[in-house]
Amino acid sequence: MRPVLAAVATSTALACAAAVAACGFGAGPASTGTATLTVTRDYGSGTLLEARDENPPESETVIRFLDNEADITTRYGGGFVQSIDGISGTGTGGTSDWFFYVNGVESPVGSADVRVKGGDRIWWDYRNWTAATSVPKVVGSWPEPFAQSSVEAPKPVRVVCLGVHSACELTADRLVGAGVEARVEDAPVSGANPGSAMRLLVGPWTRVRTDTAVDELRDSPQRTGVFATFKGPTHSGWQLIGLDVSAHPARDFGSGGGLVAALGGADEPPTWIVTGSGGTAVRRAADALDIRSLRNRYAVAATRHGAVPLPIVQRGEGR
Amino acid sequence: MRSPIAYRPRRTPLAQAGAFAASVYLTSLAVVAFVCSNPIVLAGAGLGVVVAGLAAKAGRALAASARWGFSLGVFIVLVNGLVAQRGDTVIVYGLWLPLLGHTDVSAEALAEGGVLALRILVVMMAFAVHAASVDPDRVLRMLRPLARRSALTATLIARLVPLAAADYVRLGEAAALRGPAAAPVGRAALARRLVAGSLDRAVDVAATLELRGYAHGPPRSARGGPRPRYVARFIVVGIAIGALAVGARIAGVGAYDSYPTVDVATSMPTLLLAAAVPVLAGLPFATATGGWRRRG
Repeated sequence: MRPVLAAVATSTALACAAAVAACGFGAGPASTGTATLTVTRDYGSGTLLEARDENPPESETVIRFLDNEADITTRYGGGFVQSIDGISGTGTGGTSDWFFYVNGVESPVGSADVRVKGGDRIWWDYRNWTAATSVPKVVGSWPEPFAQSSVEAPKPVRVVCLGVHSACELTADRLVGAGVEARVEDAPVSGANPGSAMRLLVGPWTRVRTDTAVDELRDSPQRTGVFATFKGPTHSGWQLIGLDVSAHPARDFGSGGGLVAALGGADEPPTWIVTGSGGTAVRRAADALDIRSLRNRYAVAATRHGAVPLPIVQRGEGR
Repeated sequence: MRSPIAYRPRRTPLAQAGAFAASVYLTSLAVVAFVCSNPIVLAGAGLGVVVAGLAAKAGRALAASARWGFSLGVFIVLVNGLVAQRGDTVIVYGLWLPLLGHTDVSAEALAEGGVLALRILVVMMAFAVHAASVDPDRVLRMLRPLARRSALTATLIARLVPLAAADYVRLGEAAALRGPAAAPVGRAALARRLVAGSLDRAVDVAATLELRGYAHGPPRSARGGPRPRYVARFIVVGIAIGALAVGARIAGVGAYDSYPTVDVATSMPTLLLAAAVPVLAGLPFATATGGWRRRG
């Protein structure tokens, strides 16, 4: 055999061996647990579909899960979902599209490339992205991302207590109640998050805002994806302002309003903030850490009347 | 050697129907393939093309295009199977490939590729029959009112490319005739001579066109030619096939979906649609049989 042919044959054989090394016939072994799928529109204000997948196999992907439950159309070779049950993204020049989150984290890759494991929470939302092209983290999959039900080697979860200890304890209790091992730390905020731990920063806004990730909240939602801001300080403290889908101030929650929001860039571990102007507001925010208040929400403002979803979506808005 | 899909004058109803009628008729079969995704209907359209090709005595063109279409189809099925990541029935999971990364192969993705391949096969066969049965000069003449310059360009290409190929062979033979002691002539040198010769010829062609008054339109004698026959029946059948396919699509007949599981409509209207296409395709030949066979 000629040397060139021999080299080609050897390379082909090696490539084939590499290709089949980690693959198998059929759908693959099943993971344990139940994956859930939620389809909403307008920042979670309307639920269109809910489904469950018991013990999904190795080959299950987000697009396959969705395809089984809804009528979808795709673009760009099938990796980008264009429409779900007839609700279509507006494409080039439009302002609304479908986005999906896996365990509260916006996926940086297409839905065909994301494997679904037991315990995963998949959330598709059809929203106007004019004011926030990307919302990298959301609170709507609570207790994910902290529960890490589908992860073999869970990352540590830290409750960083920056004041209002009763709220810190309540936060830790809610996490433990959701099956999350979390430890409360009375550590000062040092700026950046050391290591890859997931954090919940609990405390008054004056302390919480000194964190590098949180400091960006003073900018528009375009940077943080959080449709809220604190104004002040005034004589009564920091005023929590809820923004609408166009990032305009829509509701003043006053100094008694607490905020639960998720922050962190695409490549950073999630950092949640449980904060408010004073002790009452922080406790209200901590009290909102449950499925009923957070389910399918991007962020919430905690008031004495209950949790208010953020952004503020008026009827017919957000499209 | 002549290409199997090259035009050869034949005394068949399709050849005698003229460029316009034959184009309408054969394009309608391609329209079925573009409009319908149901493999049963596509098979019917394929059968219709085979009927038309055999009746038009274009069996070689059919066979050649079927071979090419099949090879291309196998490639399409493989690529779609690897690229399309939808479908419930996963056959192979976690296959790692360069550029694609981890990929799954599902039966539905292969089926979707098969439908695409079948569609392309039908279209290729329809146009192969067209190329073999319809005089290309008449097709270009038909298009001249729509795109005069493009028609001229296509006509020149149709003439000059075969000439350039023949020139290349002649130049190669001339180089070989210089004897074994002569220095070998490389391909670059041959290509250079070929380009120079082509440019000379292009200037000659342009001068001839100008001298013969191409810009003034065709001479009266060129407007005639043999009077086409069977025009109406091929046009009517072509329009009927096209309308049937579009109407069926609008009415939801012959539905097909690959994902999440393959769903092929096998209802009576679908089967009738699939059967109607080859029957209609054979109709103009059947009604013309008596006359053209006796004369042929």
